[in-house]
Amino acid sequence: MGGLWRPGWRWIAFWGERCSRLGPSFGAAERVEPFLRLGCSGTRSAVTGLRRLGTWKRPSRARDPAEQPGRRLKSTNPFTRAQEEDWRRRNKTVLTYVAAAAVGMLGASYAAVPLYRLYCQTTGLGGSAVAGHASDQIENMVPVKDRIIKVTFNADVHASLQWNFRPQQTEIYVVPGETALAFYKAKNPTDKPVIGISTYNVVPFEAGQYFNKIQCFCFEEQRLNPQEEVDMPVFFYIDPEFAEDPRMVNVDLITLSYTFFEAKEGHKLPVPGYN
Amino acid sequence: MSTAMNFGSKSFQPRPPDKGSFPLDHFGECQRFKEKFLRCLRESGFENASCRKQSKEYLECRMERQLMAREPLEKLGFGDLTDGQSEARSPF
Repeated sequence: MGGLWRPGWRWIAFWGERCSRLGPSFGAAERVEPFLRLGCSGTRSAVTGLRRLGTWKRPSRARDPAEQPGRRLKSTNPFTRAQEEDWRRRNKTVLTYVAAAAVGMLGASYAAVPLYRLYCQTTGLGGSAVAGHASDQIENMVPVKDRIIKVTFNADVHASLQWNFRPQQTEIYVVPGETALAFYKAKNPTDKPVIGISTYNVVPFEAGQYFNKIQCFCFEEQRLNPQEEVDMPVFFYIDPEFAEDPRMVNVDLITLSYTFFEAKEGHKLPVPGYN
Repeated sequence: MSTAMNFGSKSFQPRPPDKGSFPLDHFGECQRFKEKFLRCLRESGFENASCRKQSKEYLECRMERQLMAREPLEKLGFGDLTDGQSEARSPF
């Protein structure tokens, strides 16, 4: 038989000699050796140790099956052979840890996506929605009277939508913490009912996280009958924390811009927010 | 939504409104109140603070006509205006 396949048996014999016990053959020495060593300690029998072999999973063993048939040890001296065995075992342990770390890194990179989202929501960085803004906050907020902000309004319509859509006031002066009302007007000059859906935009982007709309007409389909003209109100406020943000010191003008699109069958406008 | 594809630049994230969408006032039931509010705005130089009473009346009109979910006005930020309401309602 090839020398590569025989060493397993030799090692079992070797260990058996050392512990003055003989264990049945179970394949490669690496698998059996720790259990025989258990037996060598004298507190447990080799049988118990080997019984454990069937039930106890050693994942590190399963990872490198290529090594199982047994590699030839370099040394022939029994003392250095033990040392080499020890090194091999340690190498395998290190390899296991490194592999586990790599898998852990991969998992962490996948977990980072929802975690970052959560982080952004709690701290409000990057203009994302700040969670925890309840309606009772509106009740208790105090207007910051010395900080006047001009809010201008813009109205846009997608090319395929034939509505006349415009704001009914050019600007409004508000202070943070004060609720304000603004109006847009939309008219359907065609002879067919048209359904539109709108989205909005706030510039500057950083101020957008402080711009809270209590109620408006966006993200829901609005149907206009032929030749119909309606008023579309927007009820909003600017968060009082706006006045305390150092990045907003130079912001005196906020532009609210609405754009209407035609709502087609089966076409879904992406509704914002992570809920 | 920002269409600039630069990585790491701040982009705007639109948020849905807190209380949803206003139903459309197809019959113009609250148009009078809206006109009053806009007239007040024009007269005061588009200052919101001076026209809050009119905006409150507009929202009350909407609530009465089922065009808006009924809510106590304090929750809409009109707490300072509702104190005087119970004592003297100006007839018009």
